[in-house]
Amino acid sequence: MAELVMAAATPHNPLLWRAMREPVPDDLVQVEVNFRRIRDAITEAGVDTLIVLGTDHVRQFFSDNSPAFIVGKAASYHGTYENEVRTFGMEYAELTGNPDLATQITGREVLPETIDFSVSHEWRLDHSFVLPLQYVRPELDLPIVPIHANSILPPLPTAARFAALGQHLRAAVESWDSDARVGLLTSGHMATDVGGPRTFNGSPDPEFDAEAVEWMRDGDLDGAIAGCRYDRIMAAGNVTYQYVNIVAALAAMQGRPADLAEATTSRFASSPFFLWRAAS
Amino acid sequence: MSRYMMNKFIRAVEMSTANVNAYVADTEGFVDGWLAGGAGPDAVADDRVLTPEEREAFVNRDYGTLYGLGAHPYLLWHFTEAVYEHEYTEGFGWRELVEQYRAAIIPYGEVDDIP
Repeated sequence: MAELVMAAATPHNPLLWRAMREPVPDDLVQVEVNFRRIRDAITEAGVDTLIVLGTDHVRQFFSDNSPAFIVGKAASYHGTYENEVRTFGMEYAELTGNPDLATQITGREVLPETIDFSVSHEWRLDHSFVLPLQYVRPELDLPIVPIHANSILPPLPTAARFAALGQHLRAAVESWDSDARVGLLTSGHMATDVGGPRTFNGSPDPEFDAEAVEWMRDGDLDGAIAGCRYDRIMAAGNVTYQYVNIVAALAAMQGRPADLAEATTSRFASSPFFLWRAAS
Repeated sequence: MSRYMMNKFIRAVEMSTANVNAYVADTEGFVDGWLAGGAGPDAVADDRVLTPEEREAFVNRDYGTLYGLGAHPYLLWHFTEAVYEHEYTEGFGWRELVEQYRAAIIPYGEVDDIP
């Protein structure tokens, strides 16, 4: 059977793409170091396919048709958009899909009991999928299953549903008749505001950041779920709900304390870096 | 208010460099052209509608008013950036635009942006 051999969470702040160039500015050195740690962990774990859990930023999924959880079943994906290349200087990416693993996650004829997934066979991936891969697997050679969890167009799934997603991903991998070594890569934000009153002005809520690191460092899944209520998260910044992706990773790793848990400070809002290696 | 339609217009502009350029070149013409367009006979609904106040705010590129009317903040900021980066000068760049944008929206506080 296949194995879930690691999980990690990184930032996907697209402003990093232009800012974190050689020579890397002093305030971003630790961000680069942490990306490299996760890159190395993927290599060391011998990952040969990745589930990439991200947040489509209203690029493909708009309010006319907004799924809560959608799984990509395509054989290939184009990455990033004209406006993201224009605005952030990002680079287009070509990615290979993993339809077999996607089907294992969604079910073939009938959806799993845990999550009523939507599926997509035609999906252009935005920066929240592409940018983490460009940093932690710049070869872009691993087949991926992208999953968008809606944390941007309310009504949103609760943190408990993200946890159920994470638990389901582990169960789906472990019941997959394959010798694949699967990694889970997710991304999101610590307390962050984009386009609201606290936009681009450092962390809007350092207290949330500290708690949100502790939940992962201590392996406190119940605390994370309780702490990620909509009103609490929105008080920490209008895009902070993307932190909840990381709750799914904690659940996928059975609520174990993370091997790396850090909200890295820089000129930007703090950057999430979390890593779970396989239990030995 | 029609937050959904405002966001639809914002996306139509912001996601396409050609549309950003057209909106910047002839803002009122672009807004009215967009309103007159649409999905044709199979449109699922009245698919391009703005209130007079919303139309006016788009014609004036008035991001503060659009924020107050409930535009999605993430979309609105990137729309603003795309439209106003054409006006950067030596003394007015990205950081200055951020500050000007924040000053314009802070009076409205956290608004209900859920369509």
